[in-house]
Amino acid sequence: MIIDKPESKFIFIFNRMTATYGNSYTVHNDRPLTNSEVLKSWGKCLILGTRPWLDDLAKKLDSYVEEEIIPCVKYDREPSKNLGIEECVMMAYCHIERREEIWRIFSKFGSDYKAWVSEKETMELWEPGGPIMERWLNTTNFDKETKEKIRDNARQRFDYLENHPNDIFKPLAQ
Amino acid sequence: MTVLIRIPGSLKRWFNGSETAECECFSVKECVEDLEEQFSGMKDRLIDANNEVTSVMIFLNGDNVLKLDGLETSLKDGDELSIMPLAAGG
Repeated sequence: MIIDKPESKFIFIFNRMTATYGNSYTVHNDRPLTNSEVLKSWGKCLILGTRPWLDDLAKKLDSYVEEEIIPCVKYDREPSKNLGIEECVMMAYCHIERREEIWRIFSKFGSDYKAWVSEKETMELWEPGGPIMERWLNTTNFDKETKEKIRDNARQRFDYLENHPNDIFKPLAQ
Repeated sequence: MTVLIRIPGSLKRWFNGSETAECECFSVKECVEDLEEQFSGMKDRLIDANNEVTSVMIFLNGDNVLKLDGLETSLKDGDELSIMPLAAGG
């Protein structure tokens, strides 16, 4: 089910149970994953493309998400040019044991690109002082106080995940 | 040995418009050197002055080489490297 809300930076594909009832999609072997399991084993297969190409791909992937072969997909509404990216990024989330299956599906639809980024790596990129966090903050007009608040929020989020390893993972609303 | 390099559309201009390239190399470091010979200026785009991969992400068969042995990561025949702008990884 493609969720396209103009106020969101991303367009999502969720299965109906997640979209309608908020069921967790960070699931592996029919069990919702904990924070520590997500940091250890969850991540995303990345591909880049034009918005029209990704819109078309999203329609093809929708049935795979509905069948829970792919847990969740999100992609950029527009390229993050402020970060130096000229294409939209699509992220297909899954457990690391399922990524080869995702790549086979991508290949079927014309992309043989293989790039896996774990949630742990994503945290490292977006933690205070992390390369993407700081690059992004430098592109904004936020004052020093706001930037520090954003860093604090990220720090609190990551600290929570690491300090509550056995809690069921709850994705950040986007 | 031959390694295939896959490049997203936005970085094609670095590779004279191609979405793939090939290298004869035994490590990621040698691959960077080979790419520099094929595409002048490539080394500076892929690694910084400290010989670290900081502005792009390089994936070996899907895995970030920084999570393997970095530039010293060994390559074998048939391996595939994918290159992506760093910011796309978030």
